[in-house]
Amino acid sequence: MILTSANTLQSKTILEYKGLVTGESLIGSNIYKDLFSGVRDVVGGRTNQYEMELQKARTIALESMEKKAESLGANAIVGLKISYDNLGGTMGNTILVTAYGTAVRCE
Amino acid sequence: MNFREREVKITYIKEAILCVTFGTVVGIGAYYVFLYFNIAIFGWNLGLIFAPLAAGYAETLLANRIIGQGIGAISAFILFIITTFYSFILKNPTLGFNLITVGSVAVILQAAFPTAVNYIILSVIFGIGSYLSGICTRIITYINRRKDYYYYKHILKEPNKITIEKVTPYDEQKSNEVINNLDFYFITSTDPTKSKFINLGQFHATAIVEKDKRLIHSTQDNVELATLNNLKKAKDKSLIRLAQSIKSAGGNGVINLKIEYGLIGLGGDSYQITAMGMGVYLK
Repeated sequence: MILTSANTLQSKTILEYKGLVTGESLIGSNIYKDLFSGVRDVVGGRTNQYEMELQKARTIALESMEKKAESLGANAIVGLKISYDNLGGTMGNTILVTAYGTAVRCE
Repeated sequence: MNFREREVKITYIKEAILCVTFGTVVGIGAYYVFLYFNIAIFGWNLGLIFAPLAAGYAETLLANRIIGQGIGAISAFILFIITTFYSFILKNPTLGFNLITVGSVAVILQAAFPTAVNYIILSVIFGIGSYLSGICTRIITYINRRKDYYYYKHILKEPNKITIEKVTPYDEQKSNEVINNLDFYFITSTDPTKSKFINLGQFHATAIVEKDKRLIHSTQDNVELATLNNLKKAKDKSLIRLAQSIKSAGGNGVINLKIEYGLIGLGGDSYQITAMGMGVYLK
């Protein structure tokens, strides 16, 4: 599955638009993760735990989206958008990761 | 403070110093014995534990006899400093930071400050254990559910509307099919290849979903799953509304589609999902 945020695919022709595909995942509140993140906020440094959680959530969202594209008979997704939205929760750490794009069939 | 009270206080301080000194001497003596006979496990001298204990015990014993009450095992703390300084810094300054050292320091601290360290150990172990097993959450959830059950059954005399037993499932594939069978083009890119279109203008459609208050007594996993499902349903709703709005303006598609999620309401008690894009008629 080809994923691109661009409108077109270089050296490939889009034959058919298959439809909209979306994928979502949620990172919930976690007392230890939040606590260590809070400590990092004070002392500085990278919050590796959060980066890993975000990566995991992004992968889930993308995989869900790709699965739907496959079921539509597409072999690429163009105009891909990934967004991260804070939905509140404990210390404001409930984050929604969304990925969506247009499923297409290309040469 | 009158003269008599001052005399009493000075006497008390003198007696306390005597008790602390006695405890410290006993502790140092005990530590010397442990060092002399090399009473150790895995190279780690047991005097580090027993010397502060002996000091505290001797001090308390003497204080009970002379003053009539304990004075807080101050000599145990002094011994803790002496033994740690001697064994870790003076005698073995190259001691590395490893599991044995950390364990030793923990045990020494436990001997010097038993109440505080026991509290921390119990709290940390119990906290991690309960978090991993979710036992506390389950117990609290169970208690809340029983409370609600009796409240609704015996006081309100109506069915329980608060407790949620199961999260309503969301069928990803079915929803995908519904969205893509509306006879409408949802295109996230800005320029559909090989298609000519008539621009109908910018369109927005919003769906608002309230946070499910029934989830108050549910587990964290249930809360997250239900929230995600509610957001997905609201997203579908906003897309359908956007399609309807563009169709009513004579269009058959949207380009540069964007979907945005946000919190609204007092204290962020609702989610707002907005689908927007340029309504078009694709030829």
